[in-house]
Amino acid sequence: MMEYRWSDLYIGLRHEFDATFSAAQATAFASLSGDVNPLHVDEAYAIGAGFPGPVLFGMLTSSLYSRLVGVYLPGKFALLQGIRIDFSSPCYVGDHLHVVGEVVFLSEAYQRLEIKATIHKDDGKLISKALIKAGFHGN
Amino acid sequence: MDSVLEELQSIFRDVLDQPNLKLTRESNADNVDDWDSLSHINLVTSIEQRYRIKFALGELQELKDVGDMIDLINVKIAAR
Repeated sequence: MMEYRWSDLYIGLRHEFDATFSAAQATAFASLSGDVNPLHVDEAYAIGAGFPGPVLFGMLTSSLYSRLVGVYLPGKFALLQGIRIDFSSPCYVGDHLHVVGEVVFLSEAYQRLEIKATIHKDDGKLISKALIKAGFHGN
Repeated sequence: MDSVLEELQSIFRDVLDQPNLKLTRESNADNVDDWDSLSHINLVTSIEQRYRIKFALGELQELKDVGDMIDLINVKIAAR
């Protein structure tokens, strides 16, 4: 886990990591969120709708933005303050996802940073992009 | 309407999600709904990005209302 403080940050600071979601994780997300839409939980329904299988929840893949902020940028002392996400393509259980985040704006007065982040599949297809606002908690 | 006040009104309407908000020089956190600490950070950073200026925390702590903010913005624009 990174432990950046405000003075460590600069425009262009960047972190990236890879992730994959399993069927069990998708099922767990359906359970904890209560989103049981068949596009996500019913294989026959998803195939009938023209997809190769159940579509991973956008909010599940977007949980990777939480990891980006809480573990990497800025890491341990993070306080997530806002996030705007645009979804571009569906993705599926087992897809290899690549997350990249880069600091694009720093506001000294309240120690606010903004991060542009993306999730791509390993075939290069954009899954989603996000503009994340974060600050720091005490300690 | 003062052009900076007009632009601030647009920023405030967007950040506070109040499309009919009427902002005046006398507006402040006590008389504008939902102008709380986190939305204040969002307002300040939106203003910094709009005008490509930077505020120091001490400058912001001295502001009493939107009128003071407009005056500070004008000083910073002139100093760019």
